[in-house]
This record gives sequence, structure tokens and C-alpha cells, in this order.
Amino acid sequence: MTEVWTPPYPEPGSANDAAFIGIGEIPSGVYRERGFMAQIVEASARAISDAQLAHTDIDQIVLIPCLHGIADQADLIFSRVAEELGLHGRVKSSVMVHSGGSTSDNATRMAAGLVASGQARNVLVVYSERWGSADLQAMIDMLSVNGIPKEWEAPTGLQFNAIGGLITQRYMHQSGSSAEEMAAICVALRAWANLNPNAMYYEKALTAEKILASKLISDPIHAYECPFLADGAGAFVMTSATEAAKRHDAWVRIGGSGGCVSHYSAGQDADLGVLGWVEAAKEAYEAASWGPEDADLGEVYDSYAAVLAIAVEGLRISPKGEAAREFYKGRFSPGGQFPLNTNGGLLSAGHTGVGGGTALLIEGIRQLLHRAGPERQVPNAQRCIVGGSGGSYMDAQIMMLERATR
Amino acid sequence: MSVDTGYIQNADELTGPFAAALAEGRLIVQKCNDCATAIMYPKYRCPNCFSGSLDWQQVSGAGQLQTFTILRMGAPSAFDVEPPYCIGIVKLDEGPQLMCRLHPGADGTWNSYVCDQRVSFAPADAAEVAQRPAAWFTAA
Repeated sequence: MTEVWTPPYPEPGSANDAAFIGIGEIPSGVYRERGFMAQIVEASARAISDAQLAHTDIDQIVLIPCLHGIADQADLIFSRVAEELGLHGRVKSSVMVHSGGSTSDNATRMAAGLVASGQARNVLVVYSERWGSADLQAMIDMLSVNGIPKEWEAPTGLQFNAIGGLITQRYMHQSGSSAEEMAAICVALRAWANLNPNAMYYEKALTAEKILASKLISDPIHAYECPFLADGAGAFVMTSATEAAKRHDAWVRIGGSGGCVSHYSAGQDADLGVLGWVEAAKEAYEAASWGPEDADLGEVYDSYAAVLAIAVEGLRISPKGEAAREFYKGRFSPGGQFPLNTNGGLLSAGHTGVGGGTALLIEGIRQLLHRAGPERQVPNAQRCIVGGSGGSYMDAQIMMLERATR
Repeated sequence: MSVDTGYIQNADELTGPFAAALAEGRLIVQKCNDCATAIMYPKYRCPNCFSGSLDWQQVSGAGQLQTFTILRMGAPSAFDVEPPYCIGIVKLDEGPQLMCRLHPGADGTWNSYVCDQRVSFAPADAAEVAQRPAAWFTAA
């Protein structure tokens, strides 16, 4: 049972070393006129173009699920995307991967595995979500059954803002962080969103005063500390390093990954102020042979401020208990020492459901490809830590991304 | 380690006894007949030793409040309770932990609760438990 296993990691630049070569994204926000499938096709087209491929070069589609309705979800499952992209009769398969907010990481693992094992040449990964235009009560009801055990926790009236409240209360108790320090996390993310034209709140400022004056939703979370549901879509293309080198001077590779499923139901986590990040980071840093001190930036799941603070500490980007205070001091803001969630995160770029984590991943790839534009590009970014979490923060998934050149 | 041939076949065998005990004002959790682990929420197999031989035990109802929140708006439609109401996570002295409801204090609010304080099981009335089978706790 304790046999040591040495993973067969791919050699950088080899035929089984997976490479991100293109990204595509459309603005997040409330866009009632935009169609679900229209979003998918546009994001896909942008990613394929960015990868300098033709649509017919795609031989595998990996789909990230939507949460706004089961009819659209069924269209994803049953290959409508292949037909809409003109890839029916051409792609080997079209398949959905789903682990909630960490789907981006698991979809990446799957796409990379297909490339590494020679089962796919060019994989398109795409998400589309219509949360911003969905009926709010219907989404609250959906979020009170997904990731919450119906027999054991639904009878307490639990829903997702309440889970955020439980985690935030525990984090503030353990760390001694003040309400002002917690609010600083949302303010820092908004400052990044104000530099991102694709962010839901690109043009709106946010201050700690405004957050603390807003009504309590689920103590200690205020209204402006809750994620805003958004419509959005994004996509990326993966191939092998040898294929990437044919068309590109630079691409992004996976230096390593780590993961830990810490619970299913929030009530069962051994410590909601820690979650699975410490375990996941141990594995990821060993696999990549580098850690937070070597990273140029991070893109880490942030559907509530405390969830991000806990992750940042588990990843050892901040000392234990200090993440919120470091946000307050500006360490993670534009111009700070460690750029974090440079697209504005879910809290300010918009919570596009399962896609919110994918938007962070796409931003990490964008930064390492040096395509983030003059306003928010991290100078000479070489290494990025990407973190995702799904369900009731059931897991911690880490991708150690590295810029690679020909 | 044994596998009990009379294994648990459906969820009602787990939820039924728990809810029935709550209706009588008692809090029970599962216990493993092989390794004595106390288990909550109830499972089909022991998560520690994977035994299928499981039974119930009444617990003291004493525990520590891990965390809590007061939900002030956006209750699930199916829950049918007007906010605000308070939800907490209690770690029982016997080991396992569970999501629960918290009674308000004498002032009608939940302002006096703090993380890590001692709490004790204080069952809701039978009508409440019949509609929403949750354990309720109060400050010890």
C-alpha cells in the first residue's frame, strides 16, 4: 500500500509534453441578447485563430459544463458543439468534464493526457455560461441542492452564500482578520477588473467603504462581497510541444499539478479555514520543482474573499493567517509585489459558474503568452500558479504553468 | 474486519432512524461495530475501516461550534423559512461533526455566538423536525 510511485512526467518540449497555444474570450457580464451557443462558437473561433489553426485542425473537443439549465447542458453532452463548429465527421470525440469550479484544471489534465498519449493532436476546451441572464431565485435554488447533501444539510436551509459565510467566519476567527482587511480583497480584485475590458466590472470602481456599508447577506459577508452571476465564454487550445513549435515561438506548458479532495459536504471538512490547499500544494510544488517564491503571478479561485485568502495561505504565497492583511497592504493589487487574479477574478470579472475558474486559467495562459495588453501584463511573466476549487470548496486543484519557447 | 451480509441497502435506512430519534428529542450518530468509529453523516460503510457492520449510538449532544452564519436573504424556496436564520457546524465531543441550526439567544439574535465556543444539542419541536429534520444547538 505504501509503494513509492514515480510519475512519468513528460520531458519539456517533447511530443508528449502538452502545450497551450491559443486562447479566446468574450466579455463577461449581463448580455441578455447573446445566445448560449453563439458564445461558444465565438470563444472557440477566437481561440482557434489565436492558436493559428483552422477549425478543421481540431480533432478533440473537451467541454466545460454550464449550470444555468439542463437543456443547454444536454446540448453540450450530445455533441451539438461539434456540429455548430462544422467538426462533425472530423473530431474523434466531444466530451464534457465536470468537477464544478475546478473543472478547468481537470479538463486541462484530460486534454493534456489525450495529447500526451497520442490520442489527440489539437484539443479545443470551451465553456459558455448564461448565469447573468438566468432567473436569480432559480439559481439560488439550484445552488442549494448542488454540492449540498439533500438528506443531511439541506434541512438546515443551507445555500451557497451561507457556505461562504461559514468559511469566512471561520477564516476571520482563525486569522484575526478585520472586516476592513476582508473587504480589501474585493477591492484589490476590482482594481484588476478595472484594467480588463472583458471583466463584468471593467468600468465600475469599488471601495471598502461601499462594501462595509452594504447590507449583510450571510454574516459576515456583505452584499458587495458576494459573487455577481455573469454570462460569459472562453476557450483554449492544447497540442503537443513539438506541434506547438511548428507555428509558435512561445507556448505554455504544465510544470506539474497537485490536487486534494477534502470533502463533499461543507459540514464534514476537518477545517474550513484550511481546506485542501496544503496537501495539493505539497504535490504540485514537488512535481514542478518550483514554488511560490519562483512564481511571477497567481490565478486562484475566488468566489468569496475568504476562499481566496485560505488558498493563498495554503499555497504558501502568504504566511498562515496573513493573506487578508497582505491584500490590505496592497501586495496583490496592480502595482503590488505579487500580481494575483489579474483578470479581476470571479468576484469582479464576473462569476460565470464553472467557467469562472476557466476564466482564471485562461488569464494565466494569456499572461504567460504575454498577450494581456499594456495595462495589466505582468512584465516578462514566466511562471504562474493556477488554483481551482469546486462544489462546496470540496477540492483544491493546482496547475503550475510555465512559459516555454522554441 | 467483517462484511455484514445484512448491509444497508437504501438511504431510508440511514435517514429514517436519525430523523426518528430527532423527533423524540434525541441525537444519534452511527458507530462502527468493528473499529468503534463514530460516524456522521451516516454512511453505507465505515469510512475508517470499510466495515459494513454499522449501528447507532446516542451522543451526549455536547460539542464545539466550528463556525456559523446568519443567512439574512435568499433562502432556498423548498426550505420555506423566512430569513434570518442561523446555520452552524458543530464538532461533537464523540468526534464527528454536522451541519445544524442554532437557536437565538435570549435577546432574539445570534450576536453572542463565537467560533470554538461550547454548544449543546437542544432539539426543535416535533413539527419543525418533521418538516426539516435538522439537529438544533444552543450555547452551553
